[in-house]
Amino acid sequence: MRRVSRKETTATMTDQPQIVVDKVSHVYRPPNGRPVLALEDISLDIRPREFLALLGPSGCGKSTLLYLIGGFIPIETGTISVGGKAVTKPGPDRGIVFQHFALFPWKTVRDNVLYGLEKTGLPRAEREKTARHFINLVGLTGFEDSYPSQLSGGMKQRTALARTLAIDPDILLMDEPFGALDAQTRHLMQMELLNIWQSRPKTVIFVTHDVQEAVYLADRIAVMSARPGRIKTIVDNNLDRKDPNLFKSQAFAERVDDIWNLVREEAMKMQGARTS
Amino acid sequence: MATMSGAQLTDTARPTLLSRAGWLLAHAGSIIALAIAWELFARSGAVTPFQLPTLSSVLVRIWNDAMSGALWLNAGVTLYRALAGFAIAAVVGIVLGMAMTRIAIVRWFFDPIVSVGFPMPKVAFLPVIILWLGVYDASKITMIVVDAAFPVITATIVGIQSVDKYLIWSARNLGASNREMLWQIMLPAAMPQILTGLQVALPIALILAVFTEMVMGGYGLGGAMMSASRFADSRGVFAGILEIAVLGYVLVKGMAILRRRLLMWHQEAMAPSTV
Amino acid sequence: MTAAIRYLPLLLIAVAWETASQLQLVSTLALPPLSDVAVAWWDLLKSGELVTNGIASLWRAGAGLFLSIIIGASVGIAMAWWRPAQIVMGPLVEAMYPMPKSALIPVTVIWLGFGDGSKILLILLGCMLPIAVGAYNGARGSDQALVWTARSMGASRLRMLWDVVVPSATPELLNGIRTALALSFILLVSSELIVARSGLGYLIGSLGSNGSYDAMYAVVLTVAFIGFAADRLFQIFQNRMLRWQQ
Repeated sequence: MRRVSRKETTATMTDQPQIVVDKVSHVYRPPNGRPVLALEDISLDIRPREFLALLGPSGCGKSTLLYLIGGFIPIETGTISVGGKAVTKPGPDRGIVFQHFALFPWKTVRDNVLYGLEKTGLPRAEREKTARHFINLVGLTGFEDSYPSQLSGGMKQRTALARTLAIDPDILLMDEPFGALDAQTRHLMQMELLNIWQSRPKTVIFVTHDVQEAVYLADRIAVMSARPGRIKTIVDNNLDRKDPNLFKSQAFAERVDDIWNLVREEAMKMQGARTS
Repeated sequence: MATMSGAQLTDTARPTLLSRAGWLLAHAGSIIALAIAWELFARSGAVTPFQLPTLSSVLVRIWNDAMSGALWLNAGVTLYRALAGFAIAAVVGIVLGMAMTRIAIVRWFFDPIVSVGFPMPKVAFLPVIILWLGVYDASKITMIVVDAAFPVITATIVGIQSVDKYLIWSARNLGASNREMLWQIMLPAAMPQILTGLQVALPIALILAVFTEMVMGGYGLGGAMMSASRFADSRGVFAGILEIAVLGYVLVKGMAILRRRLLMWHQEAMAPSTV
Repeated sequence: MTAAIRYLPLLLIAVAWETASQLQLVSTLALPPLSDVAVAWWDLLKSGELVTNGIASLWRAGAGLFLSIIIGASVGIAMAWWRPAQIVMGPLVEAMYPMPKSALIPVTVIWLGFGDGSKILLILLGCMLPIAVGAYNGARGSDQALVWTARSMGASRLRMLWDVVVPSATPELLNGIRTALALSFILLVSSELIVARSGLGYLIGSLGSNGSYDAMYAVVLTVAFIGFAADRLFQIFQNRMLRWQQ
């Protein structure tokens, strides 16, 4: 595991890591099959309010790592601590957004967003106001009373985002959130996410297999190896993401190229493993 | 950020008025054809009026029963028993199904009972139930519950077990406790499956209401049919068949409409025409 | 080993039954001890009553089921294969579905009396429906590509029916038959309980009126077991058939 040295720091980053992953391994035990080592000896520090991408080929275990941090899967080897406290179960401090939205289909957009707010104990008017705010923030004004089955993929994902943002988590865990969307929608959602994040910075851990997406969105990119997943490299991605022409810039293309070379090797290993 | 106009949600899944009408016509047409065939065949002389009374005479009989009030009394009693049994079976079935998915001991204990009991002709236990509970409503309703609960139990179990794991994780993430998870998340998520089970249970409840009445006599459509049969009143028997068939149809249709209302979020699986 | 643990609750219930009854915790009239029931069962077997009535019942169910499979499957496949058949029979089948089959018991008696005929007719009418629906759904799902391939190889329509449609309809058809199997037992027992002079259902009724409750329980459990066993055996047959297909 090589660490690339930091050339620049983005504003308002303290030195104390918010999330510490220490020597975590995970064995996946399918009900009818042999156990498989999914993650091997992962150690990773994540700083407050940084946007970190977990990048790697499909099957490398990046989602598994995200679920471990989220507390959805029990940690068997190693430790993960958030803000100094060990992770044992899911909680509203680490909000999650899934690839397939996981919206409650029997609830309207508004009720979905309100769901997490009910636990906060705020008075009803407050909760409704907050829900409305986030629904507007993701651009779904006018669709509060729609059901998920009436929405497009992009709108569903925006609802999921609003629902998670509404509980104001310190950390945002995103599991290939735009993977189920078509290319144009994906691009729009990436821009929107960046806008939202830049106006209210949170720590974001963003899982993806798309190199361009990672380079566009993240401060740092953790490239993962093929199964069993290890952190191959961590790249500081210090491009100016406020630049609207970032996509067309030379620096962007070069960065994507560099990282793609890192990933390609691992992607081919995963391919080979699958066909054998 | 571009917003979408609500006007673009189109209704592609609902059938057009014309195709709906056509379907209805085909159904009505078949029934009418059957009715005509019945009437003609009954009059033809190939069978005696005892074996097959004319449809017209049967309809007259039903009309008379309606006028005298006997029809409403019998139908009402049968309906009451069927619905009471159905309601109890629904509650018992859903609660037991939920308990079986959550509590290991309950699952262990009831699993063989449910799996062995399912294919059994549980109606064979009717004499035992009569032995315990006598010949009035209690035994009838108990028999209905015993039979109708099974499809509800299995449907509930399947429904809850097949809830999307990511839905559960999201709920956990948003702070749901175990109790909230069961009632606020898993039950609604399993509702389509549970309603299917209820839709199977309802006709079962009606059949058994009628049958138990046949066995025990007295009021009710089944009891009336058995009396008619004993008095060689074939018009009465056929009238009973029609009445029960109509009752069955109404109940099934009613249940289907209820399902559509409750699952309106589910049925409307339409994507807008633009993204 | 795991099967034993799985069915242990049934054993516990049996033990609880015996204990409750022997200890007179419940009226021994309403719930005779399981051991008495077992003895009565053995007596019935020895006297031949169980066997004679059993054969009468199984004959009726078997004949009715057999006929319903032949007719039901033909109707279902015909509906899937020929449009006119579907237009004519489709709404009829749908209309008959919510019709409680037990309501037909008195009619079958009017037509065929108290003997075998009425029971066989009842089972035929009742079981035809799930089989027809199963055959219909199965035949409709026939892989279009398979059908066209057979066609291009010069198969006549009839040949195609036999070679392609029937085999691919088999899984759904088997499910329909399984449903019909359970239904046949229900209709058999129902009709024998009230309008028969022989058969297991009749035996239950007459033992009940005699007050021979332990014998009555014995026959009830026998009937329940036969229904259960028939379903399990059919499942094994079903899996065998489907493995052939794979």
